[in-house]
Amino acid sequence: MDCLLEGNCVKAFGKAVHALSRIGDELWLDPMVRGLALRSVNSAHSAYACFLFSPLFFQHYSLGPVSEQGSETIKCKLLMKSVLPLFRCLTSIERNVERCQISISTPSDRVIIQFFCRHGITKTHNLSFQESEALQAVFASHLCPNVLKAPARLLGDMVMHFPVSQEEITLSMTPLSVSLRNYYEGGNDHMKTMYTEMSLHLDEFDYFQVGVDSDITFCLKELRGLLSFAETHCLPVSVHFGAAGRPVCFSVEDMVLEATVVLATLIDSESTGPSQQTETLAPTTPRCAEAAVLPVGSCEANSRKHQGVPAVMELIPSSQGSPIISPPALMLLVPQTDNPNGLGEPDEACASATTTPASSTICSLLFRALSSEQDSDGCAARLPVLAYYSDGEENMEEDYTRSPSL
Amino acid sequence: MPLSTQSQADDEQYVLVASLDNARCLSNILKAITFKDHAIFSATPNGLKVTVEDSKCLQANAFIQAEIFQEFTIREDLVGFQVNLTVLLDCLNIFGGSTVPGVSTALRMCYRGYGYPLTLFLEEGGVVTVCKINTQEPEEPIDFEFCSTNVTNKVILLSESLKEAFSELDMTSEVLQITMSPSQPYFRLSTFGNSGNAHYDYPKDSDMMELFRCTKTQTNRYKMSLLKPSTKALALSCKVSVRTDSRGFLSLQYLVRNDDGQICFE
Repeated sequence: MDCLLEGNCVKAFGKAVHALSRIGDELWLDPMVRGLALRSVNSAHSAYACFLFSPLFFQHYSLGPVSEQGSETIKCKLLMKSVLPLFRCLTSIERNVERCQISISTPSDRVIIQFFCRHGITKTHNLSFQESEALQAVFASHLCPNVLKAPARLLGDMVMHFPVSQEEITLSMTPLSVSLRNYYEGGNDHMKTMYTEMSLHLDEFDYFQVGVDSDITFCLKELRGLLSFAETHCLPVSVHFGAAGRPVCFSVEDMVLEATVVLATLIDSESTGPSQQTETLAPTTPRCAEAAVLPVGSCEANSRKHQGVPAVMELIPSSQGSPIISPPALMLLVPQTDNPNGLGEPDEACASATTTPASSTICSLLFRALSSEQDSDGCAARLPVLAYYSDGEENMEEDYTRSPSL
Repeated sequence: MPLSTQSQADDEQYVLVASLDNARCLSNILKAITFKDHAIFSATPNGLKVTVEDSKCLQANAFIQAEIFQEFTIREDLVGFQVNLTVLLDCLNIFGGSTVPGVSTALRMCYRGYGYPLTLFLEEGGVVTVCKINTQEPEEPIDFEFCSTNVTNKVILLSESLKEAFSELDMTSEVLQITMSPSQPYFRLSTFGNSGNAHYDYPKDSDMMELFRCTKTQTNRYKMSLLKPSTKALALSCKVSVRTDSRGFLSLQYLVRNDDGQICFE
């Protein structure tokens, strides 16, 4: 894969990397015929983001030579901490960088990112990558009962009123209004918390569809990156959601790119009783392949020592001809006791998304990483798998409609 | 200026007297080479040279020409002493880091000779402070024997372009590799870190390249930790000259311009 970005697009690309860095610690690169997808997921699998840049975004975009075996191009993942520093200072990129070339070089197992700057200066970065199956979340946004389309700055302006440390917020929709309020753990000291709530009339939105009255609570931090991206590019943000517990999808698109963030929501928003952050479970959790311990995802509030990259990814053989992992196999990871890999120990998974007791049920939504509570195993089984690692061709065993992949 | 009311007779005892209207000028330069506590001062009729060394492998020198000082009197050919640089800097900044325009700290630095402390008279807004810093026997600075005749490669770059590169350098790399060559890639800085390697290439015809004189291709690796102190100097400077000799020794010279003239250090 080889592509060339010019001037302003490099800045947009960098902004996308910033937004993705708020989600997870790894960046998946997936060059496809319809464009280059950059994806990330958080360690609890409760937040997923995808930025898809169509070939028109690039000055030049080619997938490289097609091999005899088929049409597979290399799909890989990079450590976010290797990539983010290259795009850290967007103003200096805007000032200095004329072109940027990104290519994946199989023989040397490197992703080569080259910046051609003013005054003839060239900066070349050779980053090692890990081959990986593509990361995909399949989310039926067209089946969502509630839809909002907000003009570019609206959501950004709304969330600005919440403190940066605010982890979760609750979005409520009724036929009359939409409101955002901060979410707090029940049982905490009410005296110390500042409650903020703001309501908007539905007229403020470019488009709305109220299917069901709902209150959804999701992690704000992970969303901020997308909102900032949308604001910079003056793109309206579409929100697709349903009842509490169903994931919420925020998306922006224009002629040359599409970005989506899917967040899990709390199943019930009346959390009962205080819940302490659970401690790290970890000895059985496989460490990710890289030597460095990855920092915990942005929502994480407690101090856990290790956060392995979700084992699901490591389990999947990386070569192109590997057997497709079917979703039921992922179920093996669900029951705690049977799980030899200790993935997604529920508390660990959950804690990343919220800090409430009900959090134990949130994280189920994307990858079936589940709660430790026995009863919710049943509950989880009913929840559709929203994201899986595959080439996108297999059939889901659940009875839920194939929906456009994100 | 109150300092000038010092009686002339006092001056007879001093072997070195140097005055600056704005002590900030000196303190900025000294800050750039403060990576060790002690500095060797040597003054000649040409100016003042301050030397700081680290583990016998790194030496930084700041040359402040006599012309930069408002007054520079020296009664011997060479005056040398060693002082604690951190203490000296604290004294120079004794009035605080005032950035009020128009207000600056004036300095008069006097040294009576061997065995005497270094006396600093600092004045700001009518308030005078006298500081006396004990001096020590100056150590002999290492002579790396880096002389111009042995220089194989030399480039002069505008600092602006290097500042950015240095701020982006991958700190997980233990070494910085510098390649200088009469052919591609001309001048290249490379790092080898945990996530991969990075190369910064400066072509010889770049706007940022003021001088390019490379006779043969040389690639040398230097410990990143030894280069770190130079970033402070880079931040102050407007031009940098990078020279390597036949042994691979690296000499970086930074030209710092202050309001009136130039101060050069390496």
